[in-house]
Amino acid sequence: MGAYVIRRILTMLPTLFFISVVVFAIIQLPPGDYLESYIAELQAAGETVDMARVEFLRTEYGLDQPLYVQYWRWISGLMMGDPGWSFEHDRPVSEVVGDRLYLTILLSVLTVLFTWLVAFPIGIYSALKPYSWGDYGLTFVGFIGLATPNFLLALVVLYFANVWFGISIGGLMDPEYLDQPWSLDKAKSVLSHIWIPVVIIGTAGTASLMRRLRANLLDELDRPYVVTARAKGLPEGKVIRRYPLRVALNFFVADLGNLLPQVVSGAEVVALVLSLPTTGPVLIQALQSQDMYLAGSFVMFLAALTVVGALVSDLLLAWLDPRVNLRSGANA
Amino acid sequence: MRRVWAMGAALTLCGSVLAAEVPFFEDAVASGALPPVEDRLPATPLLGEDTLRRELGQYGGELKLLMSRSKDIRLMTVYGYARLVRYNDAFELVPDILESVDVRDGREFTLRLRPGHRWSDGHPFTSEDFRYYWDDVANDPELAAKGLPRELLVEGQRPTFDVIDEYTVRYTWPAPHPGFLLSLAGPRPIYIYRPAHFMRQFHKSYADPDELARKVEEASARNWSSLHYRNDRAYRANVPERPTLQPWRNTVSPPASRFVFERNAYFHRVDAEGRQLPYIDTVIVDITAKDLVPAKVASGDANLQLRYLGMGDYTFLREHELRGDYRVAHWRSGRGSELALYPNLNANDPAWRALNRSPDYRRALSLAIDRHEINEVIFFGLAKAGPNTVLPDSSLYDPAFDRGHLRDVDTANYLLDGLGLAERNRRGIRLLPDGRPMELIIHTAGERSAEVDMLELIRDHWQEIGIQVFIRPSQRDVFRKRVQSGDAVMSTWYGLDNALASADMNPRELAPNSDYDLNWPSWGANRMNGSGEAADDPHVRRLIALHEDWETATDRIGREAAWRGMLAIHHEQVFNIGTVSGVLQPVVISNRLHNVPVNAWYSWEPAAVFGVYRPDLFFFDSAGAS
Repeated sequence: MGAYVIRRILTMLPTLFFISVVVFAIIQLPPGDYLESYIAELQAAGETVDMARVEFLRTEYGLDQPLYVQYWRWISGLMMGDPGWSFEHDRPVSEVVGDRLYLTILLSVLTVLFTWLVAFPIGIYSALKPYSWGDYGLTFVGFIGLATPNFLLALVVLYFANVWFGISIGGLMDPEYLDQPWSLDKAKSVLSHIWIPVVIIGTAGTASLMRRLRANLLDELDRPYVVTARAKGLPEGKVIRRYPLRVALNFFVADLGNLLPQVVSGAEVVALVLSLPTTGPVLIQALQSQDMYLAGSFVMFLAALTVVGALVSDLLLAWLDPRVNLRSGANA
Repeated sequence: MRRVWAMGAALTLCGSVLAAEVPFFEDAVASGALPPVEDRLPATPLLGEDTLRRELGQYGGELKLLMSRSKDIRLMTVYGYARLVRYNDAFELVPDILESVDVRDGREFTLRLRPGHRWSDGHPFTSEDFRYYWDDVANDPELAAKGLPRELLVEGQRPTFDVIDEYTVRYTWPAPHPGFLLSLAGPRPIYIYRPAHFMRQFHKSYADPDELARKVEEASARNWSSLHYRNDRAYRANVPERPTLQPWRNTVSPPASRFVFERNAYFHRVDAEGRQLPYIDTVIVDITAKDLVPAKVASGDANLQLRYLGMGDYTFLREHELRGDYRVAHWRSGRGSELALYPNLNANDPAWRALNRSPDYRRALSLAIDRHEINEVIFFGLAKAGPNTVLPDSSLYDPAFDRGHLRDVDTANYLLDGLGLAERNRRGIRLLPDGRPMELIIHTAGERSAEVDMLELIRDHWQEIGIQVFIRPSQRDVFRKRVQSGDAVMSTWYGLDNALASADMNPRELAPNSDYDLNWPSWGANRMNGSGEAADDPHVRRLIALHEDWETATDRIGREAAWRGMLAIHHEQVFNIGTVSGVLQPVVISNRLHNVPVNAWYSWEPAAVFGVYRPDLFFFDSAGAS
């Protein structure tokens, strides 16, 4: 097991390296660079553009260097913990991201918990009572969550949350707390707001989770070992928990790797619509204005999450399911 | 001969009136942290004749605005609209920060400051601030390698700059320069002065070298000039420490999701009773997603909002008037056209370029558009169908301009046939002379849903004359690059920005002037900085000549002749194709907010959005309004 863990962690390094190359290449793909977007913006506002100034900034930002030099600057800085300079905000990337990262993580963790809390009981219930009214009804609700575009749902929920509960529209707290230090009231305000994005982002995930749990569990329920356990007189709840549910969870753990980045990236659009102070809106803006270090460092963060998620899910799987083979490279 | 055009000090209030203290500052004044109001106002504060037409207000309250990006706080510089000279609400130039301006022969400008006027940090505002800009910014080889801003040049020639005394400076050009005062009055003005006492700490010639090196290091700037530049963006309002002359000053460093602008204790305007303006204590700017703006406004999260609202939101906004405690006014757009199509005369594709340069082709496209339908379908019939030209409220308007925009498909087809485009393929699409079908790609930034809707209708209209249209939305910057590089054959944007123009305003939009021009980016670049190609279309050359006439005209008659000539050429040549104008812009105004006009123009220039309507006079009818 120890050797497996070490091998798994070592393979992450080249993966992250390749991802960083791809990320950098993709960000450079659109024509032009940040300064060109910046010039366009100046002109749109009617300001004359001082070309000498632009050339000066180009040197200052290192945009006159060949791409591999720019890449090296970025990646070496990133490895030292310096994610670079945001042109758009005229500030270090770390400062721009700041609090947003914690709020993103808070939001993501809550969303995952919400998804599980909703999907598990429903999945188990509908496997135990298949084709019942409850099964159909709950599945139907789940599918609505899956089928409605998140941003649309976001707008609708937001509107009614405001009309019925008086919750201010958008953001993760009432506006008056925005520039205040953390306090009990501010935390309360965050809690009263955060359920909206949690429910919206979460509903999309619940449907597939509950359906898969239901399917897997249904497969197991009639297996001989379940029948045996029942025949030996174990209470029904214990039968389900000890045996078929454990097997049925295999898929779920294997999926964990995808869950993290899915939750974070799926939230970008919702975050934009709800104007949440998370990383999403900043990332999208950075991509639009070709603020490359800001965008690059963000995307790398997402990629790292995916890779870590995959690691966690592999390790959990190895622990949960003795059938998983640790020796051969098949799982690595 | 000596001709003096003086903008008077007639309406500045005498300093002897003892003004009441602003409640917001009472504590600070009592504790001695701030001098009393009579010492904070200039000796001759500005009253302004537009002040007399408004209600007297009371102090206090928070104005809440919504914007979509941190960078948008620069709009506060537009809304605040404190300028050396500014437009009043009749769009005439009047002195504002300046006490008076004397213009001699259209080329010698003597600017006189208000004695005792101070920056928002209490430091005196004097001719030294102008000298610092002239000597240490505009003429510093490291800060301005390419020389002066274009607005300060006449036919490439620089002015001479003289400091007359502590409160008087003079700029003299060898030739008349009618554009000078206009560029000071614009929504995005040129700044010919700096808070010298603040900026010196970043300037090599003044700052202690070690101290400066430390600051450069701290800000991770590359060198002193980049640090100077970063702290010197008056328009951006992004450095809270930088003193300002605006009614409100920013107190929050970007990026943030909430900006708080506090009243400037040294603001130079007063109301009719001599009380210092602005009435409103703070302006809160919340950064939010564009799409949320209507919903947030409806729930009362803004008490004055215009940006990101359109006619499409009108019913929704009206429905929630009670809940949000506001009223919805409509201002009329001061643009020449809500959507104009720009054939790119510098397009790369030779066949399309030849067509774009043909007046008959442009006329045919214009004739094929059903403007009436666009007006009815998208603007509830409330707009006015017509070409992209000045509005009837402009003194330069000529009823003849309105002719020739009624739909006439037969004539359009006749014109196109005459251009050798008579052959069609099986789908009925005309063929270009080189045999390709006429598949026209219209590039758009696609930022407004109304814009896309209009294009959909135009696609059907042009289909009828045998031209297949594809609409290609792209991100704004990419869109501009495509036009500039000549990849885009046809693009869309708003029409004339300033369609309320008078002869004294600059007709620069009508002639090639910048590589941002959608009609002729390459010719525009040529006139801007010598790159690109020189215009070779005779009519465009005529436009350039007329624009130069305007720039050197010594009197209004000459300027008006130039304007009229340019408008006539545009009317006759249809360089761009307008659709509808006078579109209504919903403006949401809190029921407790006073002095906001109900009937007004919505325009960037000359109205500076809210600017000429004096947000410093807006007030809430009970203190602490939310």
